[in-house]
Amino acid sequence: MMAECSWLALSSVSSRRLIRSVPCHVQPPNRCSLFSNRHLLGFTSERRERLRFSLKASFWESIRSGFKKNSNTPLQIIETPSTILQDEEVGEDAPFQQEFVLVETTLEDGTIQQIVFSSGGDVDLYDLQTLCDKVGWPRRPLTKVAEALKNSYMVATLHSVKKAPEPEEEDSKQLVGMARATSDHAFNATIWDVLVDPSYQGQGLGKALVEQMIRALLRRDIGNITLFADNKVVEFYKNLGFEADPEGIKGMFWYPKL
Amino acid sequence: MMQYHAFLSHPSSSVCPRLSTSTIKSNYSISDKDLESRGFYLRRTPNGLNLAELNNIFAKVGFPRRDPAKVLIALENSHSIVWVEDTGTSKPVAFARAIGDGVFNAVVWDVVVNPSFQGIGLGKVIIERLVDDLLSLGISNITLYAEPKVIGFYRPLGFTADPDGIKGMAYSTKEKPNVILLITLKKKRMVV
Repeated sequence: MMAECSWLALSSVSSRRLIRSVPCHVQPPNRCSLFSNRHLLGFTSERRERLRFSLKASFWESIRSGFKKNSNTPLQIIETPSTILQDEEVGEDAPFQQEFVLVETTLEDGTIQQIVFSSGGDVDLYDLQTLCDKVGWPRRPLTKVAEALKNSYMVATLHSVKKAPEPEEEDSKQLVGMARATSDHAFNATIWDVLVDPSYQGQGLGKALVEQMIRALLRRDIGNITLFADNKVVEFYKNLGFEADPEGIKGMFWYPKL
Repeated sequence: MMQYHAFLSHPSSSVCPRLSTSTIKSNYSISDKDLESRGFYLRRTPNGLNLAELNNIFAKVGFPRRDPAKVLIALENSHSIVWVEDTGTSKPVAFARAIGDGVFNAVVWDVVVNPSFQGIGLGKVIIERLVDDLLSLGISNITLYAEPKVIGFYRPLGFTADPDGIKGMAYSTKEKPNVILLITLKKKRMVV
């Protein structure tokens, strides 16, 4: 397929750009866990890091199939490592700090737009509120939202980044997706609040978000990953490997407002 | 391609209690005092909780035995715990915990009563207190996963299964999902 050939040819060009300008949300020690593709040599980190390409081919296929095939703009999908494992770096309770580019497209005017996955970084509460407004969720007090995020075991975000044409200019960044999970750090985790900006839906981004969360949780040996799904999205989660009412076990709510 | 309104893993704020939060406090099935007179203490911290004994109870009700170090981590990261201590032996006889974000949502896990102490209302005692504790933190979205056998136990305590069609889901790993066994009730006895 033409897209694949162009990916190989363009990857080295885009990689340079990615290192230069995608913001790094990682806390000190000053390491940048962002990679563009497997051909990239020379990491900014001093520590030894292992790359793991653990995404299944079917997952990437499902992402690709979501893109408009009739588009005139050449589509480049950066095959990024799904996770970067830091040797001895992260303690058991340390936040999952990752950031990588999920998708990169070149728009008609030549600007590059990326969808960047990030976890363990900061979330702008106002951006989050705007996103919740877009999907029609009721507003919640920002202090409570901040507290809830702080108490969540993992918070993952998707940002749409439009690369500035000049190196000195700042990229424009917009929050387009979020998901979070609470956990006891040992056995159970529950995923809450999965949302994707309606203008970015239909591209497999929600899938990517949840997939990454599952991956991260399983890596931490948290085997029981649960969630509560509205009727409309039960199918979506089934396709990700979730089972409704496993063995007849039912989700129950205390005096829900119906 | 189907457009989703949101990839809704339940918006926690849309589920709120109809009843006021003070309802449960005055209506405990067995009061703390009564419990004490029967030789049971209510506890809310992991201090003094005999983990080996807790593991024994898990095993007795059909949970897998768990690595005590992991159990300790789980306890430390549960924001609410309620357990009943048998004053005679200082051992736990009933236990439950809740995990959440401390503001909007909580999920109740590992609700167990030692089979030798089932049938006297300890399960109900535990859940009543746990729900109350969560409500007093302001958490209104209290959830749990119930085996078919115990759905009837949770209903009179205020829990509804699949409200509005919302489904509890679990990620299945290749081995049998180690989901949620709660109380294994003996067929002839129901916890009242």
